[in-house]
Amino acid sequence: MTWRDPAVADRRLADRRLINVAWGSAVALLAIGALLAARAEIEHRSQAARAAEVQADILAASVSAALSFDDRAAMHEYLNALQVNKAVAAVAVYNVSGQPVVVFHRGAASSPPARAPAVGSHFSERHVSVTRPVAERGQRLGTVYLETQPESWASTLARHSGLAVLTVLAFLLLGVVSAAASQLGARARLLSEANARLLEEMAARGKAEEALRQSQKMEALGQLTGGIAHDFNNLLQVVHGAFELIRRKPDDTAKVAAWSENGIAAAERGASLTRQLLAFSRSQKLELRPFVVADLIADMHDLLVRTLGPDIVLSVSLDEVRATVRSDRTQLELAVLNLAINARDAMPNGGRLTISTAIRTIGPGDPVLDPGAYVDLSVADTGEGMSPEVAERAFDPFFTTKGVGQGTGLGLSQVYGVARQAGGIARIASQPGVGTVVSLLLRHLTVDPEAIEVIAAPAPIIAGEGGGTVLVVDDEAAVRTLACEALELLGYHVLEADSAAKALDMLDAVCPDLMLFDYAMPLMNGAELARVARLRCPGVPIVFASGYADTEQVEAAVGGEATILRKPFNMDALARTVANLLRGAGGPGSPSGG
Amino acid sequence: MLAQAQAEPSLELAVKATYLYKLAAFVNWPAQAFAAPNAPLTICVQGADPFGPLLDQATNGQAVAGHPVAVRRLARLDVGSGCQIAFVAGGAAQSQAEALSAVAGSPVLTVTDGGRGATVKGIVHLLLAAGKVRFSIDAAQADRNGVGISSKLLALAVTVKR
Repeated sequence: MTWRDPAVADRRLADRRLINVAWGSAVALLAIGALLAARAEIEHRSQAARAAEVQADILAASVSAALSFDDRAAMHEYLNALQVNKAVAAVAVYNVSGQPVVVFHRGAASSPPARAPAVGSHFSERHVSVTRPVAERGQRLGTVYLETQPESWASTLARHSGLAVLTVLAFLLLGVVSAAASQLGARARLLSEANARLLEEMAARGKAEEALRQSQKMEALGQLTGGIAHDFNNLLQVVHGAFELIRRKPDDTAKVAAWSENGIAAAERGASLTRQLLAFSRSQKLELRPFVVADLIADMHDLLVRTLGPDIVLSVSLDEVRATVRSDRTQLELAVLNLAINARDAMPNGGRLTISTAIRTIGPGDPVLDPGAYVDLSVADTGEGMSPEVAERAFDPFFTTKGVGQGTGLGLSQVYGVARQAGGIARIASQPGVGTVVSLLLRHLTVDPEAIEVIAAPAPIIAGEGGGTVLVVDDEAAVRTLACEALELLGYHVLEADSAAKALDMLDAVCPDLMLFDYAMPLMNGAELARVARLRCPGVPIVFASGYADTEQVEAAVGGEATILRKPFNMDALARTVANLLRGAGGPGSPSGG
Repeated sequence: MLAQAQAEPSLELAVKATYLYKLAAFVNWPAQAFAAPNAPLTICVQGADPFGPLLDQATNGQAVAGHPVAVRRLARLDVGSGCQIAFVAGGAAQSQAEALSAVAGSPVLTVTDGGRGATVKGIVHLLLAAGKVRFSIDAAQADRNGVGISSKLLALAVTVKR
């Protein structure tokens, strides 16, 4: 970790400056202390000298007569008086010729000079020696010498205690500053360590979040696959049951027809579910066409009643103007079915489901919708309702309150998507304990409904017109067999191969009138097979059957002229596609989803 | 022996001669005692002079408070003699007592020598004590003569007469 933060650098600079100032102050304090001490010392010396001089002067004045008349006894008396003062170490009186007359000294260390020294004061080794003249009326009579005791260390120390205090303070200050500096350093180190730790933790958290996202993805995927498996299982149950019944009583044609209807309906619902998934993965091209919403609801009535079960009363209130919208009819059907299923699950103890359509005019000021006329398709239940938090997230993909295997979490998301694609929006209003209303506001289209019927009418099945040979290549036996039987039923001559290699062998022998290739095959896929097949049999139309989500990938692999038949396809779609191509009228890229 | 005996009194006399002028430093004369501020301070020896050249040697080149020291010898002492210090030895012309009374009341410091058998005492009376030359002081006589004696000198006196 390096210091790059300018604010931090500034702070460190400021800290260093502070420390320098403190050091400077301490040094200045010491200097001032030394100066004061020197001054005090000088003062002390001059004071001591003055004091000694005064004493010497007094002595000089006192002894003048005694010296003059050589009265040693008197001189001794004066000296004895001085000896009382413990500060006096040595005293001497010299006559006018400089010879000592009387001498006193306290110890061997301080003996007065043998000859009278020059008049003056001298300070050395912590003591003062003073020499003063003895004179009377201008007449020089002799000299006195006085020496003080050396000052004790304690007294010197006491005298310099100010400096000592200053020194101690200065060092204390330095100590404090140094401690503070080292503390600051330590804190900076701690900070940088903490920073490094933080970065590490951030990295660790990033990894953890990545892992969490991954696990959430897996959870969502689990939810999705669980839901899909559940739905498919139910559908397969119906289909399986239908075939089981047909196998047991194949002769009861009336019942076989009914059972077949059930099976086909279930299979179609499965196809719808697949389309829902594809729509969700955005690879499904929506087929936006105008249609009447009320008709759609009316057509779904039986399915809805069956879905809701006996405990739920379905009431339908449809507009009478046959309001038209432009949407994907299948998707809208699915949306209504999803809403009905949600409503049913919200009313486990029964209730009422109301589906209504009405025209509503949205004025300016709506946050999402442009002003204009909308068809309000609303589905209301009297179920348990949901909390505002749940309602807010209800349209989020994969959001579900149902357990794993009970829903994909895609239902309301799909509803929302359909509404948006139809130039509108889905809104939810719910109150816990009262119920939920989901409104799909779909842009109202002003088109003649009669004209729509013609457009929306399926083309008639063209069966076996003119006949022809069709090569069917698919590695899955069941699908291949079904396709072959369907084509034979339609009156075509059918060749079949379970791999690309076998198909190419066959093409060596004869070129068919049309080729139907499965896209996803091992070793050599439909697109690769087509490239070779086109060389062997140029001009023969090729149809690709693809269950794969990625339509674009198939188109990219087989080229723009490809005709793609999306799995699962029904007989009508197969018949139409084959017939169109054989007639030479089939344009490229016109698959039918049925 | 004789030489020693002669030497001792000569040392004593020398000391006494020195004392005569040394006294001047501790005595205050009234201003009228001197004719001028730089007039000489005259030490007179009345009567039989015991000092001889000793006094002249002792006072040679000396001065007291700006007054050069001079020595005069005279047989008779009186008010007009102009002496500030008078060593009264006594002689045929004038006895010690006569000399003292002659200057009584005048600003003259009279000195007598007890060691030489003086019968009367001047203001300062020299004497021998423990082999040393000492002196007693007659402060009352000094007062009468109008001569101030320094307390330092009084402190050294063997006796002080008040």
